[in-house]
Amino acid sequence: RLLGARRGGAERGWMSGLRALLGLGLLVSSGSRLVAAAGGGRCPARRGPPAAAAWGRSASAMQSPGRSGVKFLSQEEAQAIDQELFTEYKFSVDQLMELAGLSCATAIAKAYPPSSFPNSPPTVLIVCGPGNNGGDGLVCARHLKMFGYEPTVHYPKRPGKALFEGLTTQCQKMDIPFLSEFPSEATLIDELYGLVVDAIFGFSFKGAVREPFGSILRTLEQVTVPIASIDIPSGWDVEKGNPDSIQPDMLISLTAPKKAAQHFAGRYHFLGGRFVPMALQQKYSLHLPPYPKTDCVLQLP
Amino acid sequence: KRQQQRRELQLLGAKAERGQLYPRPRAEPGKMSCPSSQSGEQIEPLRYLSRVEAEAIEKELLEDYRFGRQQLIEIWGHASAMAVSKVFPLPSLPRKQPTVLVVCGPDQNGAIGLVCARHLRVFEYEPTIFYPKRSLNSLYRDFTTQCEKMDIPFLSYLPTEVQLINDAYNLVIDAILGADAEPGEVKEPYASILATLKQIRIPIISLDVPSGWDVETGNSEGISPDVLVSLAAPKQCATRFLGRHHLLAGRFLPYDVQKKYELNLPEYPGTDCVVSL
Repeated sequence: RLLGARRGGAERGWMSGLRALLGLGLLVSSGSRLVAAAGGGRCPARRGPPAAAAWGRSASAMQSPGRSGVKFLSQEEAQAIDQELFTEYKFSVDQLMELAGLSCATAIAKAYPPSSFPNSPPTVLIVCGPGNNGGDGLVCARHLKMFGYEPTVHYPKRPGKALFEGLTTQCQKMDIPFLSEFPSEATLIDELYGLVVDAIFGFSFKGAVREPFGSILRTLEQVTVPIASIDIPSGWDVEKGNPDSIQPDMLISLTAPKKAAQHFAGRYHFLGGRFVPMALQQKYSLHLPPYPKTDCVLQLP
Repeated sequence: KRQQQRRELQLLGAKAERGQLYPRPRAEPGKMSCPSSQSGEQIEPLRYLSRVEAEAIEKELLEDYRFGRQQLIEIWGHASAMAVSKVFPLPSLPRKQPTVLVVCGPDQNGAIGLVCARHLRVFEYEPTIFYPKRSLNSLYRDFTTQCEKMDIPFLSYLPTEVQLINDAYNLVIDAILGADAEPGEVKEPYASILATLKQIRIPIISLDVPSGWDVETGNSEGISPDVLVSLAAPKQCATRFLGRHHLLAGRFLPYDVQKKYELNLPEYPGTDCVVSL
């Protein structure tokens, strides 16, 4: 299977051999190059039935999108995968955050279309925390605006990094208001917004909830409008959950669900962040169900 | 305090809707960019950008809106992959293996091609990349690594025998030169590559601008892509596009930018980031 750069008289035989290897394309390079391209000695896998299933040829795959074998990650595994995406695969936070935020907005649009809101245009309150989960929320807000929602952001603790400053500016320049103060009462939130997006804490969360997020979460516990949490319901232990904290209606797990998701009791559990390379999925035995076609979100059972 | 808060929040919401948070000249306050809205206003024609306008918009996105360059490339690359799969969904490909050749130039258009290839891989296509002159820009280097680590093969040369390309791939994605290309003669190795691409029989999908075309006047001697994927807004040369499908991809342009340049973009369906023009 390793093609050397053969020319001249051997070309005919080489070409027909080549045609038989359509899946590899024209690899006129040294063997080691092929091995490197295949990621450490593994031949690129042929893709057959799984692709067909994801593209709707297999009706059953479409009807039951979640396989019960999906893995729920520990906090350590989630952090390890994240690290590997950045250090080994050289993804940047900008890139993955953009894809994650887009997934969140898309999932929200699927579960809560504008027509399902009591107010028009549909107003959404997005509460952003001090880390990457907050960044995901900012990207989500921007895409929700493009989808025709009217998002408002509360971003009390902003990291002084260019990435977050950029995302904030993008939102502000798109006329997404930033509240200077969190509404003091849950009933006020219920009145003004049809949905709350919880982008406060993510899978790195540990220990006690610092202010102002403690007060914010206590208020959110009282709201009656649906809450959609990004990756982990804020205030929950990433593995054990928390029956005394918010109980969101929707959870958007990014890359793979964490153990806390096993305690999720809301109506909508979506998977988003469709960028995990197959090699990484296999390494951690994620057993992710196939995403439909080119969708960036997948509803889990 | 509660009443006061409620009033403030409502006012804030109302201001946002009317686009008055950041005072700027606006043609129609609060209106969305949809030219076919129910208000019965006249449908304005889609705007095709000059080179200067395309550059100005990108500058504004980077400097005023503080989009990151990597972020924009990711958005465009992802949207390009969505456009490719819209025109050529996996089950429609003639060959048994869903092979796609992605030819990447040295600058931003090439980087967009790399991201596009990566997303096509996620969508279960089998892209192969030809990237003869890799950018030294560290920003773009990572895009290359991401593709390599996802087992996307990189060709070491492009065969000049056209039949080989016709036989091995279903499609070719032209991500060689974009709207920022230097006007005038195309330099090597791209001139030869384009000469080869002119002869292939399988469909060519050009990202943003058919490579070798002047961004405003086109090029009657250049390649004739089957599909053109205009990124964010079409360029003037798109008026000379004669292929089967012209799509717009990249649903992120702030409404104010759309208004300022009178882009009159069509409405994107649902949550799609691609729309047929």
